[in-house]
Amino acid sequence: MIARDVELPPLQIEKLPSGLTLVAIQKRGLPLFHVRLSLPAGACEDPRGKAGLAQYTIDLLRRGTRRRPAHDVDEMIESMGAQLYADVSMEEAALALTVPSELAESALDALLEVALEPAFDEAEVAAARRRSVAALQSDLDEPANVAGRAVVSLGYGPGHPYGHPAQGYRRDVDTFQREDALSFHATRYQQQGGMLAAVGQRTPRELIDLLKRRLAQFDGSWPGRSQRAPLQFAALAPLQPARAVVIHKPDATQAQVRIVAPGLPRSTPRYPEAVVANTALGGGFTSLLVDAIRVDRGLSYSVSTRLHMNRRAGLSVFSSFTKNETLRELVDVALEKMRAYAAAGPTEDALEKARRFLAGLFPLGLESHEALAEQVADALLDGVGLDHLRLYRSRVLGVTAEQAREMAAELSPARDGHLLIVVGEADVARRALAGLCPIEVRQLEEFA
Amino acid sequence: MSLSENDFPVQEHRLSNGLQIRFLPDRSLPACTLYSFFRVGSRNERPGITGISHLFEHMMFNGSRKYGPKEFDRRLEAAGGTSNAYTSNDLTAYYEDFASEALPLVLDLEADRMASLLIDDASLARERDVVKEERRFRTDNDIDGMLDEALGALAFLAHPYHWPVIGWMSDIEGITRADCERYFRTYYAPNNCTLVLVGDFDPASALREIERLYGPIPAGEALPPVATGEPPQKGERRAVIRYPSQAPALLAGFRGPAGHDPDSLVLDLIETALSSGEGARLKRALVYEQELCVDARVYFGWRVDPGLFEVSLKLNPGVDPGRAESAVWAELARICDEKVSGRELDRAKNMVRAQLLRGLSTSNGRAHTIGQMEMMLGGWRAMLDLPDRYAAVTAEDVQRVAQKTFAPHRRNVVTLLPGEAAE
Repeated sequence: MIARDVELPPLQIEKLPSGLTLVAIQKRGLPLFHVRLSLPAGACEDPRGKAGLAQYTIDLLRRGTRRRPAHDVDEMIESMGAQLYADVSMEEAALALTVPSELAESALDALLEVALEPAFDEAEVAAARRRSVAALQSDLDEPANVAGRAVVSLGYGPGHPYGHPAQGYRRDVDTFQREDALSFHATRYQQQGGMLAAVGQRTPRELIDLLKRRLAQFDGSWPGRSQRAPLQFAALAPLQPARAVVIHKPDATQAQVRIVAPGLPRSTPRYPEAVVANTALGGGFTSLLVDAIRVDRGLSYSVSTRLHMNRRAGLSVFSSFTKNETLRELVDVALEKMRAYAAAGPTEDALEKARRFLAGLFPLGLESHEALAEQVADALLDGVGLDHLRLYRSRVLGVTAEQAREMAAELSPARDGHLLIVVGEADVARRALAGLCPIEVRQLEEFA
Repeated sequence: MSLSENDFPVQEHRLSNGLQIRFLPDRSLPACTLYSFFRVGSRNERPGITGISHLFEHMMFNGSRKYGPKEFDRRLEAAGGTSNAYTSNDLTAYYEDFASEALPLVLDLEADRMASLLIDDASLARERDVVKEERRFRTDNDIDGMLDEALGALAFLAHPYHWPVIGWMSDIEGITRADCERYFRTYYAPNNCTLVLVGDFDPASALREIERLYGPIPAGEALPPVATGEPPQKGERRAVIRYPSQAPALLAGFRGPAGHDPDSLVLDLIETALSSGEGARLKRALVYEQELCVDARVYFGWRVDPGLFEVSLKLNPGVDPGRAESAVWAELARICDEKVSGRELDRAKNMVRAQLLRGLSTSNGRAHTIGQMEMMLGGWRAMLDLPDRYAAVTAEDVQRVAQKTFAPHRRNVVTLLPGEAAE
């Protein structure tokens, strides 16, 4: 029996009048201190025609502050033995550091300085643009990366706030100027909607006091709220007939395959049913699709389905790859199995296995300082609350066969109107997919 | 700062058949990790069956006497667990992360496959296809994989590190059921295995269960010797790959010491100084200042026999690989010619120490570290004084080891140039 719900460690949450939320979590054991700053400055905030600006801005933060040049910023952080995590998701910009406990104050000061006082030096801005453009071209050498970029671009469609990769497009990044980064930072790196979380050996009260003390130096200089237009989250485009997009990768002997359909937003109250239904279909090592494609037929090394759940919209995505010669067989098996699953849902055995798999492993996702801070911050920022963590196990174990069946029908990626994406040799793919659905061939460079 | 045995109260046991057991109880979360480390990897192979260690790792999930085909992961996942495994040049490791209630099942699953693995032609044929797909994914269609395979073949002439862990495609195709059965009898005996269990469990009852399940499995015979001979390298070696890529790439390797050699710790610090963090020497020079590369990394992993210190460059599109190469040699020459400052050495030591601590922050990380220490440094206690051993490294040590390792005649260089692939 998987009996216990998860007991979170001692923690305290305090929302400041400025709109910033402080989170303090006591974790005994290893003498480590972790701090994470999350801000509403993710890739969905990229202005139209400026895809990649959120990523570009966060990349520039460490390239010099108003107090010190880039090399000294690196020195300040790395002399503590730390490496700065600074990245964007669709929703947020996040910066994080883990250091030995005795360096907690220095780590906080460093993180806040980097996040709030960037210099955006002209030479650094230009160099970052050259680096980003080169990296975007270089990334075309990784077929799985190209497939991932195509999933968001084509899955959400142009114009949707989630409809571009966080790294942006070369054509957009090439236009970035200092003013773009300055303006993005000024309007998005605000306290309202932000969260500063700390995990360490001290009590939650002591950690909150520590956060407030170090924040005091930015009193008056860190805006609480700024003016900006709300994002427009239109519904995803109505379903079109099934279609295939083949992205030509010369000389590939293996094809990357994605099958994409609309999914659910993170805010759905049916989250437990969704993850259970998805796990039975394509999660873990014993799902329906792993069995059919890898274990029974040896067609691929990797098979999965995944729910891309952003706060206001999501996708349901099948992923796999196979040698050119078996591309059609893999696609046929995947579509057949996913259609059958949508019609019938999981078997009782598969449902029970998925429930217990998710519930059993859940505590391990809260184990490290970094994972604990991220999970707590995400639960609060996504608006699902700490009960999402505390009651996850019992909620997942409580998913009924009826709920799972309904969700299977709703989330199977092989619905009318699905999108098939193949990254591989165009001629090979076109021949393999002939007669399946209309095929459009695109060039690799379009996805840079 | 040493790690204290009070913080890591590892318990040691050994069964009469030679099975080594390490326990580290920790009741903070209702979950456990079990690792089974086998002292076998691609260094135990021979030409004609390269890749068998890795193929065999796949075969271990295909059923045994009590738990038939598909049952291993099905039972485990239904009990709230997950499993995975990896094969390296030197070892094969299997692990399960699971809800603590599943411990009896996990031990039964692992002991059953050690006692009575089923190897049949049909499952071998299917798993062979899966591994070939993995090879196409990780090597044939992946630039890092292509370079890595070419570097091993270039740097090692006689030693089994010459071939890739995943094996040559023609060997994967040729491995027979008889090869697998012989391999299993030889290397998957309890006396060639170390179990590491970490997490929420009662040590006394876990030991009783392990004795009951593993105790009857007979010990195997002594392992065949490994052909570890390798002639000294007398000059630089080079290879070129043509591939339709967006940009050139380069992977260089210098033959280094074995993992247990004290100089390996010095090379860990050199690796950190050169490539860990944005302020590291190579990244700063090649990515930020000279803008030659999208990425510049160093990799030095401990191996049982003398291995490779590797420098990997992903060049900016259009950059002449010769220019990037010269820039790397200049940075390596600098670390040979000038002593590192105390500040830079402290930075590297702090980063290595922090990395060690972070690795110990999860059950899986603790179990893996304990096993790695057993496999590479002869015992888990080595992890306790590792921070002190890193702290004792001096600037003179760094210069001495750099001069010994980075001599130009010890270089092996693989360059990937954009263009049509050669047939």
